[in-house]
Amino acid sequence: MIVCVAVVGHQNNPLYIQSFTEADDALKLHHIVHCSLDVIDERVNNPSKSGTTLNEAFLGLLYPALNYKVYGYLTNTKVKFIMVTTDLDVRDTDVRSFFRKFHAAYVDAVSNPFHVPGKKITSRTFSESVTNIVRSYSFN
Amino acid sequence: MVYPPFSPFSLEYPPLITLSQLVLEVISEDRLLALRKRAELDSKYVLFLNHSELPLSLPRIASAFSELALAYYREEARRIKSRIEKRSSTSLDLIVRYCFKVAVYAEFRRDWGEALKFYEDAYHSLHEMIGTSTRLPAIQRLVEIKTIAELLHFKISTLLLHGGKLTEAVIWFHQHKSSYDKVVGSTEYIFLHWEWMSRQFLVFAELLEASSATVQSFSSLNQGTAQIPLTEFEFYPAYYYQLAAHYLQNKKSALELLVSMSVAAQEIDGSSESITPSVYVGQFSQLREKGEALTLHFITDEEYIRYAISEAKRFQDSFEIVAWLKKSYESFTNLKSRRMAAFCAFEIAREYFGLSDPSNAKFFFDITVNLYRQEGWVSLLWEVLGYLRECSRNLGAFKDFVELSLEMVALPVTSCDDFGNLRDKTYGPGGPATVSRRESIHREVFTLFCRETELISSTEESGFKFAIDSPLHLEIDLVSPLRPVLLASVAFHEQMIKPRSLCSITLSLLSHLPLPVEIDHLEVQFNQSTCNFVVRNSQKPLVASPSSTVQSGSQEENEPSLVLVPNNWLRLTYAIKPEKSGKLECLSVLAKLGTRFTISSRAESPAAMEDSPVWKHENYVQSLPTKDPILAVFGQKATQVEEPEPQVDVSLGASGPALVGENFTMPIVVTSKGHAVYSGELKINLVDVGGGGLFSPREAEPFSLESHHVEICGIDGAEGNDESESETGNIKKIQQSFGLVSVPNLKEGESWSCKLEIKWHRAKPVMLFVSLGYLPQGSEANAQKVHIHKSLQIEGKMPLVINNRFMLPYRRDHLLLNRIKPAPDSEDISSLPLNEKSVLVVSAKNCTEIALKLMCMSIELDDEQGKTSCLIQQGGGGGETSGSANLAPGEEFKSNTVSVLPKSEHVLSYKLVPLTCGQQQLPKITLTSVRYSAEFQPSTIASSVFVFPSAPQANSTAK
Repeated sequence: MIVCVAVVGHQNNPLYIQSFTEADDALKLHHIVHCSLDVIDERVNNPSKSGTTLNEAFLGLLYPALNYKVYGYLTNTKVKFIMVTTDLDVRDTDVRSFFRKFHAAYVDAVSNPFHVPGKKITSRTFSESVTNIVRSYSFN
Repeated sequence: MVYPPFSPFSLEYPPLITLSQLVLEVISEDRLLALRKRAELDSKYVLFLNHSELPLSLPRIASAFSELALAYYREEARRIKSRIEKRSSTSLDLIVRYCFKVAVYAEFRRDWGEALKFYEDAYHSLHEMIGTSTRLPAIQRLVEIKTIAELLHFKISTLLLHGGKLTEAVIWFHQHKSSYDKVVGSTEYIFLHWEWMSRQFLVFAELLEASSATVQSFSSLNQGTAQIPLTEFEFYPAYYYQLAAHYLQNKKSALELLVSMSVAAQEIDGSSESITPSVYVGQFSQLREKGEALTLHFITDEEYIRYAISEAKRFQDSFEIVAWLKKSYESFTNLKSRRMAAFCAFEIAREYFGLSDPSNAKFFFDITVNLYRQEGWVSLLWEVLGYLRECSRNLGAFKDFVELSLEMVALPVTSCDDFGNLRDKTYGPGGPATVSRRESIHREVFTLFCRETELISSTEESGFKFAIDSPLHLEIDLVSPLRPVLLASVAFHEQMIKPRSLCSITLSLLSHLPLPVEIDHLEVQFNQSTCNFVVRNSQKPLVASPSSTVQSGSQEENEPSLVLVPNNWLRLTYAIKPEKSGKLECLSVLAKLGTRFTISSRAESPAAMEDSPVWKHENYVQSLPTKDPILAVFGQKATQVEEPEPQVDVSLGASGPALVGENFTMPIVVTSKGHAVYSGELKINLVDVGGGGLFSPREAEPFSLESHHVEICGIDGAEGNDESESETGNIKKIQQSFGLVSVPNLKEGESWSCKLEIKWHRAKPVMLFVSLGYLPQGSEANAQKVHIHKSLQIEGKMPLVINNRFMLPYRRDHLLLNRIKPAPDSEDISSLPLNEKSVLVVSAKNCTEIALKLMCMSIELDDEQGKTSCLIQQGGGGGETSGSANLAPGEEFKSNTVSVLPKSEHVLSYKLVPLTCGQQQLPKITLTSVRYSAEFQPSTIASSVFVFPSAPQANSTAK
């Protein structure tokens, strides 16, 4: 189950963060998302070291945190998408397709002429479409 | 001596016999052989030692021993392996035991591969026991299995890491963790599981840290397998230390919960004393006295749990947690993983907070809070600030408490959800990040310092028992996290203002506090303290509070209300009257709230204003600080106050071109027209108009006078004599292009003049700058100088252009081509005929716009035959002034044009020789005046003459 998705801006500032748990661990998930930015930094700064190819937006598994797994995705405009899931056996192809849909929803949201680039995304439509994408994915 | 290698003695493992060399002297060799055969001993197990050379003999004994030992281990392992293969025992626990034994024997033999294989076999068999074994009571059974699993895991990890198989070790740990992750056992006593999990991570972290394999970069490894992808963090010991601490935290809280819920907390302690770990790994037993003998008994699960709880209570988990997290924090800091490090710091701080150690907690919270502030993670920032606020409350730091509370309150928390149904423990002491919580903190803080004096005594409930009636002053600068509390934008309406005249200034205040704030009064401070002014709120009683920044009697404004509405600019426009010239800058705006609380906010220009990091990315409606959109974008908090209008005139008397070589005199007159002049100073500067300096780079010798094309030769004061110069130090300084002259004190209406002499060495246009600085009101300390600037461009011109050419004689020789064409390089040397007189035509053209008097011209020959110089005077001149000729502008000396100066006359005379008789035309003479564009044309009659044939005579007429 996907428990949290986040969009993080250039200055590593949160643009959108939404958790999908009934439990009261929203803050814990925020911490996990924030810590995963270290891994993204490392992968982006040393692409050859970590074996990721330059043109690949999907960053793969960032790190396993407790009972969660954190996946990352980096757009061409250096906006980061982060997804936290409780599923332990996840196929990369599924995560990739999830991020592709998520990216499309993000592009729709920031294409809104009333959206100011670099500001937090407060669009309700975006929130709804993200919720729908998250609901449609259960990796197990 | 006889060493039995193993007891009991058996012939299968022959004894090793060492005999002293001396034995051979006593017993014959044959007898020894017979003895050996009788004892059925191999010759290699009988060693002869020379006691004098013992060190040399010892290695032989060692190798013999090891050979025997290896043989024994191999044999034992083979024996046990055959038992496993035969499946003689179906009992899983025996198989685990056998596998362990074989692995240990393999380790003894340094056969790492086999050791690893059998440890893994043991591990897997053990895992199968979890659901099947019924040997011990349920809890103890699981404890035993997990303890053995831990032991096997330790063995396997160590072997893998020592073999340099880092990736395999990490993958193995993964599998180990995931196989036992869910093997919790009784949920009531889950603390046992957490403790065990924590130990797994700790042990692996320590192994990883100690292993030399970690030195090699994880990046060179293939990141895991396709099934189990590994990430960077999983190769860092810090990651495991952090998780070990996390599981220990789980254990700690589970244990605390258990102990608090346990009714019979006391009885736990009593009966658990005699329980000890058994000789078997993972088992516990009780020591009981039976008469005089002590016997060990199995214990029930209840007894075990009591024992486990009492043991667990003895340990200070918090110290362990802090120690591991600190290791992790340092390691992540070294790896430049700032966010992971910050998270560890946060966990450390929380642990210290739980231990009621606010100063240590504050130290680590501060590390965390800075990162969250920078990156604008509001939810995380809110939580940390909540903790910090409590720390400052516990430390009694009132100012910190207020600052942190205000920072929290001014965060962009817009969530309206009230998670009232959730337990409090999910939030820090700051509570949930909601608007209502922001508002309640706001009210709490503002009642704390805005309440009336008589209520101060009852502030103990806030935790502050002292110093609450002392004034509190907060400074907010550009990088302060409190900037959203009070943002002061100041914009002057004009970029340049006149002194002593009113200028408008707009003061805009913005607050992100959730509730409106009423300000008692505002103090606006400038770099010129005379401009400081106060804005009072008319609704508040006038309190004569002593102010250090605003002098009494300074400007005061009154506003009907001074209320800062959340996220709305409070715009105030006032007029101020600056006294002094120069830069006028608004420094800060000080807001007084209540009787004891002041906030001073650094003034910012609207043009350079940026949102604070936490508000920068918020999607909220932003309004402009000023109504005027241009001012909101380009407004500045500083302006330039002009100098007072100078009432002194400086005039530069001369104009027009200067001639090269001439001592050009420039009179400078300083006339007072309303201002008296005190300590006046005249600065004179010559600047090359074309740029590039007043001297050519070719001659750029700094001390050469001639290097300057234009230079100031001297300045004569009005008095003009040397005496006054030396007395008053009139000429202070003169350089080639710079002069400084002091002007004597002048009263109103007086004037003073001096003459400046400038000399041109080359034709060059020059800019002359003259600036006078003076004090209008005597020599007061705070008086400001008034400056007047004058400038004049002066052209330096060559007065005459001199040309010379030889009149070539009539060509007499043949037209020979080769002689007509001169060689191209010999054009400037014209050839002259020998022994004949040649005519040299010298012309000097006046290229200036004024008339010049040509005194004389001289020609000097630079010849080998001696110098012949001659003086030439104007040939056809009027002759009134002997030896000199007037040259009108543009006129050329010895030329066809004739110029007539006003009030002078010029006689043109020529001779005519008539060749035929009859009516003849005289040479036509036309007079054209260039300046007045007038023309004179004589009549046809006046220009014709009749020539008689007989008398060869002619008269000439001319005007």
